[in-house]
Amino acid sequence: MELIARSGEREEKVRVRRDGPDVYEVTVGDRTYLVDALLTPAGIHSLRIDGAQHEVSVRRQGEDYAVTSRHGTAAVSVTDPLSHLAAQSHGKGARRQQKVTAYMPGRVAAVLVQEGDAVTAGQGIIVLEAMKMENEIRAEHDGTILKLFVQPGQAVDTGNPLFELE
Amino acid sequence: MPENIESVPRQRIRKVLIANRGEIAVRVIRACREMGIRTVAIYSEPDRLGLPVLLADEAYPIGPAPSRESYLRAEAIVELAVKVGADAIHPGYGFLSERAGFARLCRDAGVTFIGPSPEAIDAMGSKVESRRLMMAAGVPVVPGGKDALPDLAAAAAFAEQLGYPVMLKASAGGGGKGMRRVVEAAELAGAYRAARSEAGASFGDDSVYLEKYIVDPRHVEIQVLGDLHGRVVSLGERECSLQRRHQKVVEEAPSPVVSPELRRRMGDAAVKAASAVGYSNAGTCEFLLAKDGSFYFLEMNTRLQVEHPVTELVTGIDLVHTQIRIAEGEPLGPAFDDVQPRGHAVEIRLYAEDPYNRFAPSPGRIVRLRLPEGPGIRNDCGVYEGSEVSIHYDPMLAKLIVWAADRETALNRLERALGELRVEGIRTNVPLFRALLADADFRSGNMDIGMLDRKLAAGELQPPEEMPGEMQNSELADLPFIAAALAHHEKAGRTLGSGVGSASRRSLWNATARREALRRSSWS
Repeated sequence: MELIARSGEREEKVRVRRDGPDVYEVTVGDRTYLVDALLTPAGIHSLRIDGAQHEVSVRRQGEDYAVTSRHGTAAVSVTDPLSHLAAQSHGKGARRQQKVTAYMPGRVAAVLVQEGDAVTAGQGIIVLEAMKMENEIRAEHDGTILKLFVQPGQAVDTGNPLFELE
Repeated sequence: MPENIESVPRQRIRKVLIANRGEIAVRVIRACREMGIRTVAIYSEPDRLGLPVLLADEAYPIGPAPSRESYLRAEAIVELAVKVGADAIHPGYGFLSERAGFARLCRDAGVTFIGPSPEAIDAMGSKVESRRLMMAAGVPVVPGGKDALPDLAAAAAFAEQLGYPVMLKASAGGGGKGMRRVVEAAELAGAYRAARSEAGASFGDDSVYLEKYIVDPRHVEIQVLGDLHGRVVSLGERECSLQRRHQKVVEEAPSPVVSPELRRRMGDAAVKAASAVGYSNAGTCEFLLAKDGSFYFLEMNTRLQVEHPVTELVTGIDLVHTQIRIAEGEPLGPAFDDVQPRGHAVEIRLYAEDPYNRFAPSPGRIVRLRLPEGPGIRNDCGVYEGSEVSIHYDPMLAKLIVWAADRETALNRLERALGELRVEGIRTNVPLFRALLADADFRSGNMDIGMLDRKLAAGELQPPEEMPGEMQNSELADLPFIAAALAHHEKAGRTLGSGVGSASRRSLWNATARREALRRSSWS
C-alpha cells in the first residue's frame, strides 16, 4: 500500500514490501531501496542499504515517528492516502479551527490576547517560559481567538491546550 | 608538593558539601572521591533523582524547584553544612558561586569556602571598581572613561582622543540599552542624543560615557590559580569566541591565534589583575583580543568556569583537585611554574534546546543516552538514560570535550564523537555543532565574538542534509522516511493481522514496541 510520509517541508509517497526475512523493498518517491533491517537487543535498528550501514532508532512521538541517526533526529508522520484524503476534505468542509497545544512544558509567562480578539498570522498569543527562556506562541493563520485555556502564571505540560483559533 | 611555607596551617578537608546541581556537581563529587573526601549533595524537589544525588555519599533536600527557594538559600546551605559536619563548601559555577555574602557566611560559620575570599569577589564584582583597580595595576582595559560626559563638545573631544570607532554607553546601563556605536565623527551628534534619551527612558538617568570600540574582537580568557601564600600563576588561555547571545557555545585551548609570546603577555596581565585583589583559588580573567594583537581586560570570573576542562586537558592539571588543595592551605609547587599547553582541546556545551526551532528549550525524559567513547574523549555529563530534564534550570545537559595532538585532529575527533553520541526523547543542539564543523571559518579558526550570531541571523549553519546540493534526494536524506515507513509497515501489519507480519515470525519492530512499553512502565 502506498503511504504518505511527511517531515518538515518534505512530503513523499512511500511504499514498503517485505522481500524475505528481514529484507524489505522500500520506495521513497521515485527511489527504491533494498533494506536489510535488523534490531539489536538494545532497541537499535541496523539498516543495511546496498551494504551501507545506518544505525537508527525509531520511537513513537504522538502521531509521529521520531527517527534518530548520527545525522540527528527527524519527526516523520506516516498516513495512508485514504485517511489523508478524509482529513483533508474534513478540513475543507469545516471552518478552519485549530486548537493549539503546548509544544513544551513550562509556565505561562503572559497571555497577549483576549477571547474574541481578531489576530493575524504570526501575531504573538501566549508567552511560555521554561529553562529561563521565554518563547512566544504565535498564530499560524489569521483568525479569531475562540477560547483561551490558560492564564498567566499557570504551569502547562506538553500537549495541554493553550488556545483555540478559528 | 613541597610544604615549606608555614604561614597558613594545612587543614585537611574531609567532607565537602556541593552547593550546586547538574554536571558541575558531578565533576566536584568525582574530584572529592578521588581525594578520599566525603561528599554531600543538596537537591531541590525535582532533582531528588539527579545524577549528583545518586553519586554522592550523602544527600539532603534544600527546598522546592525555584532556585531562590533552593540552590540560592545561602543561610540554609551553610547551616546544613555545619549540621552534617561538612568542613568545606564547593559552590561550582552559577548560583551562589560569585556572591561575596555567601563566602562570608561560610567564613563566619567556620566552613571553608572553596574559592577566593569575599573581599576578592567584591573587588572584582563591581565593573567600575575592578576597572579602576586594573588601571592602577597596569592591566590594559578598553580605553575610555566611565565619567559621564557633560555635553556634546566634551564627547567630541574625547572621541577624537580615543580615535574612531567609539561606543557610547549609559552610565546606569545594561542589556544594550543606551548603547550606540559611532563609526565616524559625523555620526556622533545624532548618536549622542539618541543614547542619552534612551538611557533616560530606560534607567531614569541619561548620563553616558565613551569607550573605544574594538572591531570584531575575540574572547580570550586566562585561567589563573592563586594559593593562600600570595603566589598567582597563569595556566594559559582559552578561546571562547563562539557565543550565541553572549553565551559561550564552543571553547578551546589553546587559542588558534595566540602565540607563545602573546600567551606570556596575557598571562602576566592576568596574574597582575588577580594579584591586585589578593586573589586565591581558581579564577579567570576575560579579555577582548583585537585583530592587531592588543588585548583588554573585561572582567574576572571569581570561580571555576564551565569550560575549565579544556585547560585541564592541555595542561594535565586537575583544577578541582588543585582548588581543594589550595583551600587546604597547600602552596602552588614547581609543577605550576611556566605551564605550557600540550596538544589541543575543544569543548562543546550540550543543551536541551532545538537549534532549528528558535532554540526552544526541550525538557523531558531522556529515553536513550549513548555517550561517545574512545581515545581523547571526555564527557562531563549531569544526566543519565531515563532521567528527566527539568524546566526549572539551565538547559545544559553535559559537556563533551575532546583532546588531540593538534586542532585539526581534535575537530575531526569531535566530529567522530558527535556521530557516536545519541540523545533521544529530547532535542539537543548537536545539529548546530555538526553544521559548525562543516563551516570553513570555524574550521580555519577564523572567529570573533559576533560570528555565530551573524551566521545564524543569515540562515547559515543549517544541517548539512538540508543544504541544497548532493544531499537532497539522497539515501541519507531519505533515511528517516525509510525507517518511519518500515516502522509503520510493521505496526499496520500487526493491527490488521495481514500476511505482512506473519504469526510465525516475531516481528523485530513489534518487539521494539513491546520493549518500549516495558521501559515506559518501569519508569512511570
